[in-house]
Parts: sequence; structure tokens; C-alpha cells
Amino acid sequence: MNLRPSLASTAFARRDASDKLRGRTCFTVDQAYQGHLQAYLLRADVASGEILRLNVSAARQMPGVRAIVTAADAPYQFGIGVADQRLFATGRVRYKGEPLVAIAADTLEQAKAAAGAVEIDIRPLPAVIDMAAALTEGAPLVHPDWDGHEVVLEARGARRGGNLAWESLVRRGDVDAAFARPDVTIVESSFAVGRQIHMQLEPRSAIASYIDGRLHLVASTQAPWTVKNVTARALGLPASRVRVTAPAVGGGFGAKYGCTIEPYAAALAMACGKSVAIVPSRAEEMLSCPCRENADIQIRSAVTADGHIVGREAVVLMDCGAYGGEQIYLTTMTAHTLGSAYRLGSVRLVSRAVYTNTAPNGAFRACNGVYNIFALESHTDEICQAIGMDSFEFRRRNVLGDGDLGSTGQVFQGDVLGPMLDKMALLRAKDDSPLSGKSSADARHEGWLRGRATTVGTWFVFVGPSAATVNLNPDGSATLVTAGVEIGQGTMMQSLPQIVAAELGIAPAEVVVHQADTDAVGFDVGVGGGRTTVSLGAAAVAACAEIRQKVTDLASRLMQVPSSKLILTQGRVERQGHPGSGMTLASLAQEALQITGPISGNGSFTRPGVAALEGCTSGHFLEAVDIPVFAVHDCEVAVDPATGHVEVLRYHVVQDVGYALNPSAIEGQIQGGVVQGLGYALHEEVTFTSDGAICQNGFGSYRVPLAQDVIPVVIELHEGAPSIGPWGTKGAGEVPILNVGATIACAVSQAAGLRVQQLPLTPPHVLAILQGRKLPLPPDHVQAWPARPGFIPHTTKSAKVADNLKGKDRS
Amino acid sequence: MRGKLHINGEWHSFHADPATPLHRVLREQIGLTGAKDVCGEGFCGACLVEVEGEPVAACLLPVALAECTQIVTIEGLYHDPVGRRVMAALEAEDAVQCGMCFPGMVMTLTHLLKTDPTTDREKVKHALVGNICRCTGYERIVSTACRAAKAMAEADVREETA
Ligand code: FES
Ligand code: FES
Repeated sequence: MNLRPSLASTAFARRDASDKLRGRTCFTVDQAYQGHLQAYLLRADVASGEILRLNVSAARQMPGVRAIVTAADAPYQFGIGVADQRLFATGRVRYKGEPLVAIAADTLEQAKAAAGAVEIDIRPLPAVIDMAAALTEGAPLVHPDWDGHEVVLEARGARRGGNLAWESLVRRGDVDAAFARPDVTIVESSFAVGRQIHMQLEPRSAIASYIDGRLHLVASTQAPWTVKNVTARALGLPASRVRVTAPAVGGGFGAKYGCTIEPYAAALAMACGKSVAIVPSRAEEMLSCPCRENADIQIRSAVTADGHIVGREAVVLMDCGAYGGEQIYLTTMTAHTLGSAYRLGSVRLVSRAVYTNTAPNGAFRACNGVYNIFALESHTDEICQAIGMDSFEFRRRNVLGDGDLGSTGQVFQGDVLGPMLDKMALLRAKDDSPLSGKSSADARHEGWLRGRATTVGTWFVFVGPSAATVNLNPDGSATLVTAGVEIGQGTMMQSLPQIVAAELGIAPAEVVVHQADTDAVGFDVGVGGGRTTVSLGAAAVAACAEIRQKVTDLASRLMQVPSSKLILTQGRVERQGHPGSGMTLASLAQEALQITGPISGNGSFTRPGVAALEGCTSGHFLEAVDIPVFAVHDCEVAVDPATGHVEVLRYHVVQDVGYALNPSAIEGQIQGGVVQGLGYALHEEVTFTSDGAICQNGFGSYRVPLAQDVIPVVIELHEGAPSIGPWGTKGAGEVPILNVGATIACAVSQAAGLRVQQLPLTPPHVLAILQGRKLPLPPDHVQAWPARPGFIPHTTKSAKVADNLKGKDRS
Repeated sequence: MRGKLHINGEWHSFHADPATPLHRVLREQIGLTGAKDVCGEGFCGACLVEVEGEPVAACLLPVALAECTQIVTIEGLYHDPVGRRVMAALEAEDAVQCGMCFPGMVMTLTHLLKTDPTTDREKVKHALVGNICRCTGYERIVSTACRAAKAMAEADVREETA
């Protein structure tokens, strides 16, 4: 069954490259002008307000206008954890940029002109722009009606109330006793990070048509089934009446993991019966970007002189913006990022999603992990300093190994991080020569401060349900039908055809990959969490097993050979040990048409589930991780003391990949992911206007890495760690960004000999650190230890909370 | 205004406000969607086209000024031997991910190979200052350019010595 070593062709090139290079690939945005109406969203201009009047009758009379929809047309509530959102601001505006009206016209200019004719009267209300303001006693509530929102994902012991959208808790062991021990050093740290914008080159976009009572959305999405289900819910339709297909997607990184703009096009198409395209401008895309959330992290540890972490506690505040969205779910991840990587005697983690009057945040590559690893690893270095232990040695002693308990009591399998650290030490030693070819650069760094750091991080593959259908065609080729989307990561172009090909004994080029279509195949969670190769791959393997069974059964009848003696190889079904015997798959598939009917197989996969310790979590959606993924990063930086400019001189990655199905593709993901992390660590900065709108509105004001900012990452793939993925694979696309902020911050801190508590490390920020002008941390950083789980800022509501959620409160 | 554009060796007519950026006319009226609309402000290079042999950000070029010029889009660059060489090299290097930036990357690299072929990575990076890629982290694109320059130089030498 395990065919991988001989048959998987690990250098299989991507089939979409040529058309992408020639400009022939038709992304959703490239189809938007093929005879469709154009949609425009009129957005609110205040952070918080009461809608007194909204009149679209004049707008309807404007030239070219074909449809207008408003809150009255879409009153239904939806959301990931809590159904707190509607398509349009209804009665109340909760963030600047919130959609009020959607207009479809013959041209975008006409739609915009019509937006100007909408009569609106909004009475401004007090707003909370940041988490500190939102959590102040008596703060204005973003959702005064929070109590009435339906909780979609129940999780026992969850707490919510007022501007606290969700609180989850991890508790294992006696933390208070650990901190009270006489023999420990207590180290406390706090951190704050801003948002990150995906800046994928293709904006979120969709084209909707309404035919025979069904909606069809062509969407630039990572998750067709999410778009289908959320669109249906937002418009009050049965999900069966929505079909979603996804052509090539021009980058996502999480921006297209949720359903955001698709329902507007759908509502407009239903209203006028014509097809409607929605393609936001870059500025609109950024104004409403489902960013990586800003977060504040406080962490403290009780550590013995010989470096054992006997107690750890942390409070993580995550800004969800005006609606709970992803962040409610992401509170869970803190257990598996901040709470992971190290052996902990006892642990207590409080993770809170907080409403503010800002654009709702969303998912971004290694959600929650990137800043929590920054906090964890910076804190680790502070511990090492406090107890006087070498930071590499401390990590080598304390990282999770075989049989160790994670924060939720999950038992980790295999020694992975330790050997990876050893590999990194070797890699460093090999590459410690003076920087090759950089001698001129070296002269330039005369007088600069040098720093170096090695960090560890834990992430996981977000497994979860997937379905796949494989058809064995009469010409001996196979067609793979899934809801997987090619967003640039290469999975649909490389790993999946490789897997199917190897399982059926044909060439990868003989595997046709059907474009994602929710009408053609069963449910899938979507491309995210590094799950595609694992979940879709496992479903495809199961589908292929069914085909193999059918093929060998039939061949056994035709060839008079027991099916157990038959194998599928090189496009043939033949007797084991008799190459060239038997028949081609093509002729068998043709014979099958008359005897059994066409041969196909269906496969499905879902997380098998791993046990956590009973009673360790409250308000959690994922108590243990099925496939942990580990990463070790190392970098060297030079810091210009005069300007605060940070230059990255070397960057090394040792990444746990399970089994490297396609090393070239994985290394491409690592280089790209590290560079995205460098942007986050060094210069991608989101700031807010006083009324809560994101200031950055283009590539000019939001600084993503350019070619001259980057260096080649030295990569070593660590194979052999346990994984339930097909052939032992793990997701490789998400984790490369995980430790970058941490590694850069630790290296800069080492160079400066000073604490680094915030990202990004822009030159003014670094200069402030060097000059001892500490940037103020947000005032909610005043943390009274021990962390008080269940602290609800709006105390009058807290009693109701527990009743509202039937779950047992365990704190 | 109504006007005509000479693109990839053919005439195409359009009807647009004279100030409409060229890339919108290409994409919305002529059906040439290889030049992408990503920033619309001249920062990202995804909309690059060749005008009179020079790569130009089409999003900054009013269509009226593009009349009577020789325009080559990425679709046409496939018929340019250097352009095709760049495309083949990028494919061989497994450099492509989502692909949105690559039409512009190919434009820049083709021009670089024609005007100043170099195997100096820093020089290639300098040439790519106006091309943003959010997926790949650039290094493979840079390696490809250097390798293509080297291969071209070797081919030239072979031709000369032949
Ligand atoms: S779209 Fe023209 S440079 Fe970005
Ligand atoms: S490959 Fe996606 S932007 Fe370059």
C-alpha cells in the first residue's frame, strides 16, 4: 500500500506554469469583464453610528443601474463561532468601511455614481478603536445586543460578554503552586503586535449568476464550500441552491479563506437576473482586509535554576474587529502555539477575542502562531538571560520530545524538535564562514551591531473533512475531482496528481485535476492550515484504493490470476514479478465499460482525533492537534545604530515536513513564507486613523518585501517525524512564516542588548529601542497576575454569560 | 474617444475616455488579460507592457498616449525569442506560484536580458525593483535570470566560434 519511494516522482513540475508565464491563465479578475454587470459597495464613513435614514430610490434612477440591495434584502445573521454579522450594517454601523448598499450597473463608474445618489443619515456614536478602549469598564459596546447572537460553534465552558467576543482557557497542573515555589525565578514579559495585510496580488473577487433558481459563483476563494454555505445563510437560501467554482486563484494567504464579498455579487445577481462581477480596488481591498489580527500578549514563567519551566501562564488578547469571525476560533490556537514547543510543569493560558469598531480581522498564514511564537521565543530568551543559561542549550533541554505533554495534556510522539535543533547547529557551523560574496556589504556594516538567534516553533496541520472522487477513464488516464483550489501553493498541480499517479501506477501527467466545483464533489474545509496535501491527499488515496480493488477484481477475472498477485504499475495491471504481463489500464477500463460499468472510486477523510487530558480546556474548539509540525529558524542580522535599519545577513530553516513529496515545491514555499515573515517582522505596518480606518491604502504606503530586501534562505527538510498524512506527509506551506518574527526579534534584541517587545521592527522603532525610548505598550498590558480566567469586562453581564452557554464553567 | 492601438502586430479599436489607463482598455475591451490590474499606481509591475521596446506600467499610461505606438503585451512576448527563453527558464526553475506577478516579471527580465544581461544577483534585484511578488520570495526568479544570462552568453560564444 505504501508506494511512495519507488513511484512518487518527486520533481514533478507544475502544469500551470506555462500559461501563467504567458499571461493566458484566466483568474477570476480576468473574467470579470466578459459581459457582466459591475458591482460597487457603498461603505459607511463612520466607525460607529446609528443609521437614521437610508434611501436608495434616487440611486435606482441613475443611468446604467440594474440592481440595488440593502440590509432589508439580507437580514440573516452569520458568523464562524457566533452569528454576529449581517451582509450590511443594519440599524447600526460598527466600523468605518462597513457595507451599507450594493449596486450593480453596466459599468463600475455608473455604479459608483449611483452610490453618490444614495441618501444616508448616520448619527455618530462613541466608538472603541483599540482593545484597551474596548476593555475599559463602561466602554461603549460594539454589540449592545451580543446576548441575542446565536452561538454557532458551541464549546463547553466558553465565556463571552460585552466587548469580549470569546474567551478560551487552558489549565493543566497547579500553576499557582509553581509560582509560589521558593526555588524558582519568575520572568514576566509583555508584547504587542500590529495587523498584517495579505497583499495577495489578485484581490478577493467573484462573479455571480442566477440561473434556473440556483446561484453560481465563480470566486477567487480558498474555500468553495465556505463560500457556498455562508452565501446561502446570509441570503436565507438552502445551501443546495448555491454552486461555487474556483478557477486559478492569484494568491490568498488566508485572505480568501472566509466568505466575504461573494454574497454581495450573489444578492445583486438574484435581484436582477443578470450576472454580476465584484472586483474591489486595491484601496477597497485594504480598507476591508481580513487582516492578521493585532494582539497583546503577556506571559510569565516560573523556572528553576537548572532551567525547568515548572509553571507558565499567559493572557493573549486578539482583536477581532467589529465581528468575531475567525478570531473566535483562533482563541483555541493559543494552546497549540504559545502553549506548545516546550515541556511545561503546569500551565494556564487565557485567550480572548475582543470586539473593536474596526474592520473585522480574518485568517492569515499561520494564524495566531506568528505573534505567539514571537512572544514565546522572546520570552524564552528573557528567561535564559534571567537564569544565566545559554539560549540554545535551554531550548535543547526543554523542547517537547517523545511522550511529553502539551499544554492541553496531549501526548506528543517522537523526538522531533531536539534533533532538528541539532541539525540547525550543524547547518550553522557549516555556514559560519564569513559571508560569501558579501565582502563589500561587510565593509558597509562596519560599526553596525550584530545579532544572531535560533528559535523553535510548533504549528499543526489543520486536518478536517475532505472528499475526493477519482475516475479511471477509458484511455487509462484518471480524473481527480475535489473541492481543492490552486492558490499558488502547487498542491493541486503537483502533490495531488503525484499521489494519485503513484497510487494507480500511472504517470502524474495522466492525472487530470478537475477545477474545484461544489456541485461535483463532497464537502471540503478549504485550502488553509497547510491541510490540502494531507486531507485531500488522504481522501484521494482512499478513492484510489477503491479503484485498485475494482481493477484487480476485474483483471483477476479476465486474466485468471488471483487479485492478490496483481499490481498496478506503469499504466498496466500485471502479475507481480512479471513486468509487461497482464494488460494496460486503458484496455481494462474499456473492458470494464461492458462488464461492471465505468470504474471510479470515492474517498473521504477527517481528523481521527487525538486525546487531550480531560478538563484541561474551556471554550476550545480543538483540544489536541492531530499532526503537529515543528520548525527551527536561525538568522543573523546587522543593525545600523545610526538609523535603526535592520539587515538580514543569513537565514536558515530546518522544517519538519514528515515526508518531502516534492522538495522543490516545499522549498519554494519556505523561501516565500520566510520573506512574508520578514515583511511582518521588519516593515509591514498597519496604523489607524482616529476613526478606526486602516491608513495604508496601497503598495506605496504598505511596504511588502521587494527583491532587494530578501536573501536566499538556507533550507534543510527534516523527514521522518510521525504523521497520519498520506505517505507520512505534512502540510508545508503555512509553517514557513511561523518563527520569522520571533527569530528576527530575538536577533535584533541580541544585537542591541535590549528587550524587543513589539513588531514590526521599522527603523524608527529600532532606533527608539537603541536610544532607550521605549514605545509605550498598550495600557491593557497592566496585568494583575495570576491571570484571571473568566474576567468579563462588563461585569453586569457576566452572570448571564454562563447561563447563555449551556457549557459547564470549569474555572 | 474612439481610437486604435497597435498591439502584438495587430490593430485593435477601442472606445474609452482618453485618460483611461492602457491596462484597463487591454483587459476590459480587447480581451488581453495578461497584463494584470494589481495596484493601479505603478508600484507592482504586474501590468507591464512593452511600448516602443521599453517596459512601461500600463496602469500609468493614458490610452490616448498609447495610440500610434508599437505595443507588445505578455501574450505577444511569447513570440520574442528572448521572452520565450525567459519563460522556459522560469518554468524549468519551478519559480512560478500563483502566477499573478509573472507576466510583469517576464517583461522586466526579457528587457534586462536584451539590454544588460548580467549574472550579478544584486543587479538583477535592482532591475526587479518595480516588480512585486508576494508568493515566491524572489530568489528563484533572480537565479533564473542569472542562469538565462549565462546560457545566452555561452550561446553567443558558440555562435561566434562556429
Ligand atoms: S498595476 Fe500597474 S504597476 Fe501595479
Ligand atoms: S507568484 Fe504570486 S505574486 Fe508572484
